[in-house]
Amino acid sequence: MIQGKNRRLANVKTRRETGLDYVMFSLDLNTPFGKKQLKEVRPYYPGEEAELRDELDRVEQMIAFVKQNQILTDKIQEVFMEVKDATLTIERSGAVTLSTVELFEIKSLLLQMRQLRKLTMEHEIGDYQGAHCCCAAEPSADSTASEARAEDVPAARAEGEAAVDTVPREYFLADTEDLLDELDPRRDRMNTFYIYNEFSPKLDAYRTKKKEYEQQIRREQKQAREELRKKYGVQLTPKFDIVVAKSHPDFEMIQSLEELEMTDQDYMSVTLQLKPTEKIYEFVQAAEELNAEIEQEEERVRELLSRKIAEKEAVLLENCEKMGALDLALARAIYAMKHDLTKPEIVEEHVISFEDGRNLQVEDIIREKGKTFCPISLSLADGVTMITGANMGGKTISLKLAGQIPILAQYGFFVPAKHAKIGLSNYMQILIGDSQSVERGLSSFGSEMEELKEILDKGQERSLILIDEIASGTNPTEGTALTKSLVDYLIEKPYISLITTHFESVTERKDIVNMQVRGLADCNFTLLNREIQHANRRDRINIISKYMDYRLYRVDSEAQVPKEALSIAAMLGINKEIIEGAKKYMK
Amino acid sequence: MGLLHDLSTKYKTLSIVGMAKNAGKTTALNYLIEEAIDEGITLGITSTGRDGETQDLVTGTEKPRVYMEEGMLAAVPSLLYDLADAGLEVLKKTKYSTAIGELLICRVRDAGYVQIAGPVINAEQKLLCQDMLALGCELILIDGAIDRKTIASPDTSDAIILSTGAVLSRKMNKVVEETAHIVNLYRTPQMEDGIYREAITQNNFDDKIMLVNADGSVRKLDLVTGLGAAKELNGAIDEDTRYIYIPGAFTNSVISDISLRNLKQVQFVLKDPTKIFVNAMDWGIFRKKGFRVSVLKNIEIAAITVNPWAPAGYTFDNRLLLSEMQKAIPDIPIIDVRM
Repeated sequence: MIQGKNRRLANVKTRRETGLDYVMFSLDLNTPFGKKQLKEVRPYYPGEEAELRDELDRVEQMIAFVKQNQILTDKIQEVFMEVKDATLTIERSGAVTLSTVELFEIKSLLLQMRQLRKLTMEHEIGDYQGAHCCCAAEPSADSTASEARAEDVPAARAEGEAAVDTVPREYFLADTEDLLDELDPRRDRMNTFYIYNEFSPKLDAYRTKKKEYEQQIRREQKQAREELRKKYGVQLTPKFDIVVAKSHPDFEMIQSLEELEMTDQDYMSVTLQLKPTEKIYEFVQAAEELNAEIEQEEERVRELLSRKIAEKEAVLLENCEKMGALDLALARAIYAMKHDLTKPEIVEEHVISFEDGRNLQVEDIIREKGKTFCPISLSLADGVTMITGANMGGKTISLKLAGQIPILAQYGFFVPAKHAKIGLSNYMQILIGDSQSVERGLSSFGSEMEELKEILDKGQERSLILIDEIASGTNPTEGTALTKSLVDYLIEKPYISLITTHFESVTERKDIVNMQVRGLADCNFTLLNREIQHANRRDRINIISKYMDYRLYRVDSEAQVPKEALSIAAMLGINKEIIEGAKKYMK
Repeated sequence: MGLLHDLSTKYKTLSIVGMAKNAGKTTALNYLIEEAIDEGITLGITSTGRDGETQDLVTGTEKPRVYMEEGMLAAVPSLLYDLADAGLEVLKKTKYSTAIGELLICRVRDAGYVQIAGPVINAEQKLLCQDMLALGCELILIDGAIDRKTIASPDTSDAIILSTGAVLSRKMNKVVEETAHIVNLYRTPQMEDGIYREAITQNNFDDKIMLVNADGSVRKLDLVTGLGAAKELNGAIDEDTRYIYIPGAFTNSVISDISLRNLKQVQFVLKDPTKIFVNAMDWGIFRKKGFRVSVLKNIEIAAITVNPWAPAGYTFDNRLLLSEMQKAIPDIPIIDVRM
């Protein structure tokens, strides 16, 4: 048994085919930390039932929080959307001096943490001004509410449900107010950054002095410009230069002025500039010297701030982790609400049972077509359970659902069923034909055998094995034999095995559980036939699925595998000749 | 008060558009900034691409950085932040990225030179301008990185400042004539509100030529642009046709084959004036024949700047250029940026 980091509950194909990947992909995550955590999310294994129950309780609490605090939830997501991944910058802060832009990013992150603390712990909307302060879409009513405490609509709380106004404690961020103070010497908590004068009295003095010099230079220049205008009527631009056309009547006079020097000339005109005086040169030099001092002092401030950030590295990174965890929990809660998921009951014994389960991936497709998914109930324990039934009866979807519900539960998700009871598995695998094996150049039988070998090699105590019509691609004599032998093998193991098949004699074994799709057994064939007759080819499939009863029911081992293949083929418009021919052979 | 004050009461965003490369756009920008400093107007500066490089990347001519005064706002890409000579306070890191990093909106805390950049996508430029206005600037100047005459689409800014100059031609009268022609085109009258305008705007979703009848009914032609399809266009005009909407480029060939009678009867409607590619002389001839045109949205010109100097080495007498230009375009303020 592989333990530790490399331990794997299910292979890539199983995660995909059961729909776990689909659900994960559908989660709406807003922070870079949450996205990273989703990629690294690991399942809970047998022995970790208590931890999983805690996690599910947190999701439940998050759902209650979201339901009762719509405004706070929106505000949390708003902050999340602005969070940028600054972990690299934080990690670098110890080794290098951060740039002003990087310091700005850290300050933004600190302000976001501060706001999240208010939203999650104090149930308060706070004063955070997002970067997108001027989104035209933001309703004005929002700003009036933002000052006060969030009084959310109490109607959202069902009767008897406890009031939840904070998220679970695990997601509370650590206080980083002291570091924010360092980066915000003016304590105005504005989401802006500059090496402000308040960081260093020295810097303040240098900058004030430099500004004085610059003003003096300008004053000198303005004075000279004014004099030129008064004395000679020559008007310089605000940049203290002038372009004089050579055709200008006063050209000679202007060019000969001592206060001006030529900077450029061509055949039509001459550009003259105010000649700097000794005094101006002095000021320029002094200002330049100050510039060097200012740069040095700015760097010292940045160095100091970088060091302060480095001191807090562990706390900051931990807060980033927590933000990611909260983001993920929020996404799980919102997904659960949107898809009407319920909290699975986690039990110690190895069982999987659910009532009115829905395959989420299929449900989404069916919903788009405006139809509803026919819920399936199933109860499995160690041993072998067979599913038989009509073609088009949804056997494969049901098999995948039997994987989807437990795998979601083990990954800490709520599940798509009215009620579900799950005992954790060490290993899950689905064996199912897919187009990818064909693309890899394997025959369907070849890839099946490859996967079967993986099951036999890796299967361990408390496994969930899902097998879809194995050996259906080979001759029925050997196929049946192989399947029977596989059932013999699996039944002895501490596995929950679920197998769909069309092979009749396989179901005859005494100690297996037989489930059957109701299929078209109870439907009104007169109605169905009448509808089919007038439908075009594409609609026929839809009509059959309308009359199909996808629910599973338990039958005794003597029950026959239903034989509806020929009548369905006939309904789908296969030639009478072929159908009648087949019937002849059946006799 | 001064020019900038007048502009800031009328407009919120102004694009500086050059008639050609090196028409003096950056010089104009610097001039306007200096004016704003003198008048105490808080400017926001952005660009339709990277701008303010000391060397122009396309032609290698001199291109000064932009000097900005304390309190002004600038869009600066994060990689150029440290290169700025001015002290810049980061107000916001936007999501708009350029080849040289994400754009920051900065406030100048310490006056100095700044290299400006801006989003390449029009919609992002609009959002950026909204952000800058919300952060407290009174007027935004948008600078283009290259000759943007043809894509000065009217929806990015309230009005434009047109930069023209000696670079257009060695003959001064040609410079004046071409500038006046462009001004003339940009000010093509907007189609008046009413059933005809409504008929066009409501059916204008698939970029097709539309003929509008006197009763307001619309007929679409399956010619995507009028280019080389003038004969068919002429054939499609019947006695009830009143307006023809051309979604694409409007060139000589579009109207050359329209019969005189039809030309007098119908009015052409274009999306905006930048779609017109007809030179001054032909334009005059068409007008004499009775050709009428209007646009769905025209371009307002707030001011014109002239540059008497061309990078090829020749210069005009600046006073003469200014006075000739003002004579040709009497109702728009004209500024000599080199004076």
